Amino acid sequence: MAATKSQGINFTLFMGGLTAVCAGVAFFDSGMAKLALILGLVCAAVALWGFFKIKPLEGKTGGTPQPAVMKLIGVVVVLAGWLFVLFGLHLTAGVGGRLVTSILGFAVSLAGICFILAPAVNKNAIWKA
Amino acid sequence: MRIARIAAWSCALAILLMAGAATVARADAAPSASAAELKDALSKAPTTATLANGDPGGTTTGTVNDVPVADTKTGLTLGDVANQVGQNKIAVNFVWTLITGFLVMFMQAGFAMVESGLCRVKNANHTYMMNFFVYTCGLFAYWIIGFAIQMGGAAGNGNLGGLQSLNTEHVITLFGTHWGIFGECGMFLARSTYDVGVMVIFLFEMVFMDTALTIVTGACAERWKFLAFAVSSVLMGAFTYPLYGNWAWGGGWLSQLGVNAGLGKGYCDFAGSGVVHAVGGLTALAVAMIIGPRIGKFNRDGSANAIIGHDISAVLIGCFILAFGWFGFNPGSTLGASAAGNLRIGSIAVNTMLAGCTATFGALLYMWVVKGKPDASMSGNGILAGLVAITAPSGFVNTTGAAIIGFVAGVLVCLSCAFVENVLKVDDPVGAVSVHGTCGLWGVLSIGFFADGTSNYGGAWNGVTGSVTGLFYGDASQLVAQIVGCATLVGFVFTFSFVLNWILDVILGQRVSIATEVAGLDLPEMGQLGYPEFVFKPEPDVLLAAERMAVA
Repeated sequence: MAATKSQGINFTLFMGGLTAVCAGVAFFDSGMAKLALILGLVCAAVALWGFFKIKPLEGKTGGTPQPAVMKLIGVVVVLAGWLFVLFGLHLTAGVGGRLVTSILGFAVSLAGICFILAPAVNKNAIWKA
Repeated sequence: MRIARIAAWSCALAILLMAGAATVARADAAPSASAAELKDALSKAPTTATLANGDPGGTTTGTVNDVPVADTKTGLTLGDVANQVGQNKIAVNFVWTLITGFLVMFMQAGFAMVESGLCRVKNANHTYMMNFFVYTCGLFAYWIIGFAIQMGGAAGNGNLGGLQSLNTEHVITLFGTHWGIFGECGMFLARSTYDVGVMVIFLFEMVFMDTALTIVTGACAERWKFLAFAVSSVLMGAFTYPLYGNWAWGGGWLSQLGVNAGLGKGYCDFAGSGVVHAVGGLTALAVAMIIGPRIGKFNRDGSANAIIGHDISAVLIGCFILAFGWFGFNPGSTLGASAAGNLRIGSIAVNTMLAGCTATFGALLYMWVVKGKPDASMSGNGILAGLVAITAPSGFVNTTGAAIIGFVAGVLVCLSCAFVENVLKVDDPVGAVSVHGTCGLWGVLSIGFFADGTSNYGGAWNGVTGSVTGLFYGDASQLVAQIVGCATLVGFVFTFSFVLNWILDVILGQRVSIATEVAGLDLPEMGQLGYPEFVFKPEPDVLLAAERMAVA
């Protein structure tokens, strides 16, 4: 299956829902806005459910399932590097100390991408079969 | 007698000093126009009858007669003249910002040509359509919410009249200091943001945002389901980009690192190496990782195959279009041509073209020396890498710094392309991750080294008095601020994009089927071939065997 009418209908619903949600938030103090917000959320949810329902019709893809836990660990490490950088700014007021903690945190984030996430997404790659 | 002589000399000296002081005072005082002088100017202005004869020399068009009068009874006043001068300043800045914004908008055409040219002919329509539709997706998402998140608290820009209606930033208090997180007004450009200045900044920021979105389509070309691309692009334009944009440009916490944490002038990114290019490049990396490589890109032993694009002429013309558009990107980021140090636009434009030049040298020479050929596609990526890298520092460095930054970017993009392909095993058909991600990060970092402390846009940057100065010119703390920005790009933006697109993958599937991929995306996804009269080559065996190998 490639692009279909169902995809088009659900995408239209998704865009309509998103627009209504934003309108609801933007004009929240008016009465109609709350209704728009609820309607928008319903439309978006229906659209996402529609996407999920038609997904299996796509057929076999070249993207193979990869270990979710390993990917999660990678994401956590990348995020942890960034948080360390932010925390490091409050560890010391000296420029030298902050430079060291910033570089360390940045390196941890990069390592998370290169040495955990990249191997994780290639664990069961189609080209290994 | 002697006393009388001394007294006489003293008196003479005092008179001389007083006369001198009076002369200096007269010279210092600005000559003030009087009502009589205005009347005189009005009397000398050309009459309607004179103007009716035409003005071939352009000497009588545009005079005191053209200054609007607030009250016809009192006639022209100094207040009227001063108001007109103020409006002229804003008008110059509006026109400058809008025209440079139009140039940036045209970069979409360059991106479309580069990306499609580097893809195979069977995916040309699909790749062009992604570049075309991303403009629409991004613009709409930015209008309904993205702009509000990014610029909702960005009031205070004197170049565009103050933008006082953008005055609501959501702030959190940590360790006793206030940090901006996201803007809260400007959705649908309604209510108080229905304002002439806000419209100008919206247009300019929107085309920047769309540039970031279109970077992702290149890295995921030839296998990204059109539906997934559309949803992902809408969400990126609505949330991912605006959030980081707020932190850097909208009065958010990164820009406050100078005021709150004493780090230089705060995180600096003049025109968007980080905000636009690294956000786009790192999101491209996240999505490309989730989608996986194209069938046939890697062999069983992990070695990579080169999948050659179909039109190198489109690639190189696209690069030229992008280089042209970059004259909007960087000089336009002053948001004005009049006042507040904005005459530096000439320097910014020269830095931009110079970095592109040296980066082309860097990439071309690297490929020629290492691989034996002056590779065309890498040369194209070289100029783009240099332009990406100089985007952030263009307003803060001198020409020598710009040339070095560009040259480093040119070599870096070649090394990065090889690293992404051979070490990370991520398939990036156009090199978007390296051009925009790697060189975007390099551009952000380079401010921390090369900012020369001479650029003073109105006396302060990010609320800190003085000029942006890097490590080589004496301020190491600026480098720390830049590293914090890079860490945020990698640690937050990449992670956010990865998780968001992972969820989308679970819900709607990011990738087309193997049958679609092998046949080419043009017919199954778009219903029309890009080049219907072309005869396709038979596919190699590895592509035909892919369906048997697939496990999902």
